[in-house]
Amino acid sequence: MAGLKAMLCMCEGVTLEDVDRAIEEGFADVESIKRRLRIGMGTCQGRYCVPILIAYLSRKLGVPPEKLAPPLVRPPLEMAPAYIFTGGDHEG
Amino acid sequence: MRAEVVVVGGGITGVSAAYFLAREGARSIIVYEKNYIGSGSTFKCAGGIRASFTSQEHIVLMKRSIELWGELARELGVKYLRSGYLWLASRERDLERLKSYSAIHNSFGVPTRVVGPDFLSKVAPYVDSSRLAGALFDPLAGKACPFDATQKLYSVSRRMGVDYRFEEVTGLLAEGGSVRGVRTRTGDVHAEHVVVAAGVWSKPLLEKAGVDLPLAPEPHHAVITEEFGRLFDPLIIDVETGAYAVQTFEGHVLMGVEVPEEHLWEPTPRLDFLEKVVRVWSRWLPWLPRANLIRYWVGHYEVTPDHHPVLGPVSGVEGLYVATGFSGHGFMMGPVVGEELASWVLKGHSRTREARNLTVDRFREGRLIKELAVIG
Ligand SMILES: Cc1cc2nc3c(=O)[nH]c(=O)nc-3n(C[C@H](O)[C@H](O)[C@H](O)COP(=O)(O)OP(=O)(O)OC[C@H]3O[C@@H](n4cnc5c(N)ncnc54)[C@H](O)[C@@H]3O)c2cc1C
Repeated sequence: MAGLKAMLCMCEGVTLEDVDRAIEEGFADVESIKRRLRIGMGTCQGRYCVPILIAYLSRKLGVPPEKLAPPLVRPPLEMAPAYIFTGGDHEG
Repeated sequence: MRAEVVVVGGGITGVSAAYFLAREGARSIIVYEKNYIGSGSTFKCAGGIRASFTSQEHIVLMKRSIELWGELARELGVKYLRSGYLWLASRERDLERLKSYSAIHNSFGVPTRVVGPDFLSKVAPYVDSSRLAGALFDPLAGKACPFDATQKLYSVSRRMGVDYRFEEVTGLLAEGGSVRGVRTRTGDVHAEHVVVAAGVWSKPLLEKAGVDLPLAPEPHHAVITEEFGRLFDPLIIDVETGAYAVQTFEGHVLMGVEVPEEHLWEPTPRLDFLEKVVRVWSRWLPWLPRANLIRYWVGHYEVTPDHHPVLGPVSGVEGLYVATGFSGHGFMMGPVVGEELASWVLKGHSRTREARNLTVDRFREGRLIKELAVIG
């Protein structure tokens, strides 16, 4: 049946069906599913999609959400142009 | 609880060992991973793969590993490309050094060659060649995606019957000069063979069994930009500083460079790394200052005194094997190390003489190996 797809991660175009398949392949934690499907590795860096992933996994696997700790948000906390780290001026 | 083989560690080394052991017919294999698959050094690495080293051990093992990377790409669909390495020199003396390395590579059948700006514009259109004195190109080298490779080996070996347990191994069981299994918080597991593939953490684990591994945790940093279209195919290296940059399969540019570091088990982020890596790469990539950096992290190289891995049986404890100490090259060696370990465990000997030269005994016997080309 060609049904509607539930999109979970907009930046990388990942659906709930993709998550179900990853679970079947043996991935059952946020860090692994993030890297298997690239959820949260696009421009939003997981700010929108990772909480949804946690809620979905929590229901699906019957694990409380606090046990599925969200992955580390790596520095820089917001993406930043490279020149600010050299103190140089590359504006314009 | 009993297994034929227990593997400690679910990085590239552990999953590759499990895959080759299962393929070669080991009856029951359990892999222990204390965190998640790839969570050690493996998921922090750049994915670069080359045979252009200067020691016979590295070259022979890496030529075989590159054959196996090709097989894994064909058979399991692992994301791997033979897109080359390009070592960029801006000074004559660095170019001379590259030429001497190339002579060594060629004598071992690794077809590196010196190239100029015309070649650069073909394989690396967004690298600025105005400062170029010359470059060394290694067409046998390439890259694989660490996430994809490690997770595919995990899923496939799991389907082949390997039992993965997400628990920490807290000790090794040994008695009368033989290994008996491993200890975990949920109980002891008996095994005929135990393979320690626990990255830098192999050292404290083996210490408990009275085995001294000369291994140091050396922090190494990396940063990644936003995604771009095709910029350069080969992994590029700035010979002057040892800095490297690679465009990932998704189009991000991943960069690293060495900054002076103490040996540390819990490394921390450093702004001076970002400053240096951006400064070095802006000389070759004039568009870099305005590119966005999206992630920065730090991981470990598992470093030995001679920058070569420690592989194979541990003398004095029958049935105990180790595979670590890759000194910055453990991802690329994953497949060949898996194959060698399967041979040692199941047949009682290594596949090659070069692997046998790398047992831990070499440190006690003073047979250290020489390698001239180590990069950041
Ligand atoms: C920034 C950076 C860039 C790099 N670039 C490259 C490159 O381009 N090419 C290349 O070939 N290499 C590169 N490397 C090196 C490479 O990442 C490592 O050599 C390689 O990943 C080592 O893999 P491993 O499986 O042996 O160890 P690890 O990946 O560290 O795996 C060990 C695993 O064992 C687990 N573990 C540890 N102790 C226990 C225990 N007691 N019980 C259960 N589990 C345990 C850990 O959680 C971990 O997952 C790079 C490294 C860094 C940091």
